[in-house]
Amino acid sequence: MKPHRIRRIVPVIPTASMADIAFLLIIFFMLTTTFSPEKTTVELPQSEIRTEVPKDAAIIAITQEGIIRFTDGERPSFALGTAAELGPLTQEVVRFLPDREFVIKADRMVRYELIDAVLEQLRLNGAKKVGLLTERKTGGGV
Amino acid sequence: MNLRDRHRSAAEIPTSSMADIAFLLIIFFMLTAVFATTEGLEFDLPEDDPTQLDVQPEEAIHIKILGEGQHVVDKTPMTLEEMGGYVQMKMQQSPDKPVIIQTEPNVPYFVMIDVFDLLKYLQVQNISIPTRTEIERWKAFGIFE
Repeated sequence: MKPHRIRRIVPVIPTASMADIAFLLIIFFMLTTTFSPEKTTVELPQSEIRTEVPKDAAIIAITQEGIIRFTDGERPSFALGTAAELGPLTQEVVRFLPDREFVIKADRMVRYELIDAVLEQLRLNGAKKVGLLTERKTGGGV
Repeated sequence: MNLRDRHRSAAEIPTSSMADIAFLLIIFFMLTAVFATTEGLEFDLPEDDPTQLDVQPEEAIHIKILGEGQHVVDKTPMTLEEMGGYVQMKMQQSPDKPVIIQTEPNVPYFVMIDVFDLLKYLQVQNISIPTRTEIERWKAFGIFE
């Protein structure tokens, strides 16, 4: 008697659609990535009420250590020595880009003294509208 | 006699490394992606004119922030909740009443944001955040202590 021949199927993981998934993810990340001139990481304070600030605003970032960084919204941000250095920079923005809003991106634990010094410079040099960046408040009401 | 091998392999584009390239790109975009926060609280700064006062401090609600949970509203110490009730009551009487937030220099920034957020939540239209120089000037005018 002729023995029954067992045909073995080689196990294969179907990977044909892998590239499709991967490219889908690439497209997602490409579309959601925004190249912002200000990349300082700070822990923002939280608030319930939040309004959209313009994406091209001039940003003043203040880290927990008290380092102030500035960008006019176009050039990459750079560190400033003192808040007083913000004066001529604000004047420049107000003169050449009059509609530009100023946004303060400060760490939640920064002493208010620094915020006050920055606001003072903005006010003295003709800034009109100021935004304070916040994160969405999670849990609990006001 | 035909000795040539007639077996022809089908033409194909090697795509096995495609997924590798794609995942490499994904990792790159994931690492470089910064999800920018573009929302916050907005307010207008007053113009710098030493001869004029934009806010009439004697008519305003005066909130002084001394520290976390330490607020003095119109000379009365209050918690954030009490302040909410007080401001709401005052707003019902006169909705245009200005509210002045004065923060002590050593107070953390988030404490001031909490108060500012509360006022925005209560739909206070006229919020003033004077800087120390302005407060000094108001004091010089004798209308602020």
